[in-house]
Amino acid sequence: MTTILIIDDHAAFRVQARAILVAHGFSVIGEAVDGTSGLEAARTLRPDVVLLDIGLPDVDGFEVARELAVTGPPPLVVLTSSREASEYGPRLTSSQVLGFIPKDELSGAAIRALVRPA
Amino acid sequence: MPRTTTTFTRVRVLLLITAGALGLGMLVGNAQLGPLDLGTVLEVLVGWSFVACGIFLWARRPANRLGPLMTTVGMLWLLGRTMTLVLIPVVYTAGLWLTDLWAAGFALFLLSFPTGRLTSRTDRAIVGIFLFVTVPLEFLWLLFLVPENGLNVLGIAANESAAHVIDTIQRVMISVGSVLLVIALGRRWLRSSGPVRRQMAPVLAGAVAILLQSVSWILFSSGTSLEALDDLIFLAQIAIPIAVLSVMLRSRMARGGIADLVVELGQTPTPARLRDALSNALGDPSLQVAYWAPIQDRFVAATGEPMDLPDEGTGQAVTMLERNGVPETAIIHDAILLEEPGLVASVASAMRLAVENDRLTAEVEAQLTEVRASRARIVAAGDAERQRIERDLHDGAQQRLVALTLALRLARTRLGDDADPSVKLSLEQASDEAKAALSELRELARGIHPQILTEAGLHAAIESLAVRTPATVSVDMDPDARFAPAVEAIAYFVVSESLANIAKYAEAGAVVVRAGWQDGVLTVEVADDGRGGADPHAGTGLRGLLDRVSAVDGTLEVVSPPGGGTRIVARIPTAAPTHTADRMTARVAT
Repeated sequence: MTTILIIDDHAAFRVQARAILVAHGFSVIGEAVDGTSGLEAARTLRPDVVLLDIGLPDVDGFEVARELAVTGPPPLVVLTSSREASEYGPRLTSSQVLGFIPKDELSGAAIRALVRPA
Repeated sequence: MPRTTTTFTRVRVLLLITAGALGLGMLVGNAQLGPLDLGTVLEVLVGWSFVACGIFLWARRPANRLGPLMTTVGMLWLLGRTMTLVLIPVVYTAGLWLTDLWAAGFALFLLSFPTGRLTSRTDRAIVGIFLFVTVPLEFLWLLFLVPENGLNVLGIAANESAAHVIDTIQRVMISVGSVLLVIALGRRWLRSSGPVRRQMAPVLAGAVAILLQSVSWILFSSGTSLEALDDLIFLAQIAIPIAVLSVMLRSRMARGGIADLVVELGQTPTPARLRDALSNALGDPSLQVAYWAPIQDRFVAATGEPMDLPDEGTGQAVTMLERNGVPETAIIHDAILLEEPGLVASVASAMRLAVENDRLTAEVEAQLTEVRASRARIVAAGDAERQRIERDLHDGAQQRLVALTLALRLARTRLGDDADPSVKLSLEQASDEAKAALSELRELARGIHPQILTEAGLHAAIESLAVRTPATVSVDMDPDARFAPAVEAIAYFVVSESLANIAKYAEAGAVVVRAGWQDGVLTVEVADDGRGGADPHAGTGLRGLLDRVSAVDGTLEVVSPPGGGTRIVARIPTAAPTHTADRMTARVAT
């Protein structure tokens, strides 16, 4: 079963995301509320996938993704946000992550499409 | 005080009687020598003219030295000439001396017009020449002089040729002095303004008379005597005191000076020109202007150097221009001017007007600066507020709608495929509504303040605008350049408003957005190949941009000929950009 760590500062989103991912057969092994605790959790929990919010209160998601990429073995990172991809422009397109899913588009299928591309 | 006034009056009456008697004595004395000629009568009239006009001026303008000076000149003239008629050696010799001493007094009178004081070194030097000729040289000449009547009491070393040499030296020096005097007065006349020039006419006539006088002396020493020339000189010398008196009493000179002063003040003169204008108006070349410096708590010159106001009894006085009881400007002038309070008051009024004018101008300038600053603050505060509202929307309503959308989708998933179709439909509709609401909210938030601008800077924000514009937009700017938030916001809104207009009206195929910083100005340009004809004054979009750009002292240029595309250029003064690369380095370092 694919393990997932959710890093997001909004509790309501974490609750709904966990429920949806669990319902779609993922194992949510942890949640973190900011970048620092998220990096710590990624190190200890070693998830397959990190669902990472871009707008975090301490460091932004791009920065966290950069850090995650150098922790070995790096998890697959899926960025998410309640804003659209176009609002991040080149920062998103140039970031070394698996992909981006708008928060309201989150589903098991969307994650799976990124994790196991056809 | 009454006693002093009476004493003065008595002195003046006595002088007048003396002058009358001396003149009569001259006439009688000459009449005994032979029939009276016109020249003698004119000579007497010269003396009387000086004494009478001098005493009259003295009475009317007691503080002005010109009155006593004119009286003295007239008395020297009469006394010297009358005494040479008395055949007593001491009296005769003294008479000879006084007759010539008159020339020095006359030169002093001309050069010290209208205050009765010598002000420049040149003037003092010229009077010095006259005094040198008429005091030490005259004494020397008298030592050697052998008069025909043998009455020279000083002639202890009688030597005719020595006396002749000294006499020649005297005549040459007097001539040189006269020429210098004419030059000095001529220069003063040239430097003066119109009204003052007219008032100087009698003095210039006097200068010409003294020049003619020396010509006459030279002719006399070479054996020629031109009676007509002498008579002409006498006539001029009679007229000069009368003309001077009329000028002085009418104070036209002062008024003319004030007219000039008002004109000068109206042109916001430099401090040096203001001083000169005041000096001209008051006829006081020694005049100085001091300004109150509240910070230093003392008076300073226009150059900023501290200045001490003169004490009483130094011959200088201060006219203070105050504002609400606080001294602002001090005019330091000759104390003699206090005797003409009307004149000083007029000058002070003119000056006060100018100072008030300057103060009002400065006040408006200060208010304008304050308004500019407050406008910039309002725009900055507006930007900050928009940013805060955007964040509130993002963290509040937007997150709740996201959670709601996900919850609805989860409910739909959990319901399974064999559930009541109407319930499934309701859930799907609710989910779609939530998504639509979220999308609208997102659009609204972006319009209020684009998060990407704060997070990633102008280039990224413009790129994200470009993606959403239904035309080919190429962006040309340094991707890493970051400016002050207010500047980035204004530049961003210039581009977003322009692109929105292009999408709505321009029917453009290609758009170029350029932004670059040079010499303290960020220039943002949006150019399209559409149909042009945009009117910056129609609609609120461009007008709002103009207001925003103006708030930071920038300019907005709209070039939009019909059919020729539209080019919008904003120029925003701002500090050189920092670069994201620098900021990252900084972050790593901390």
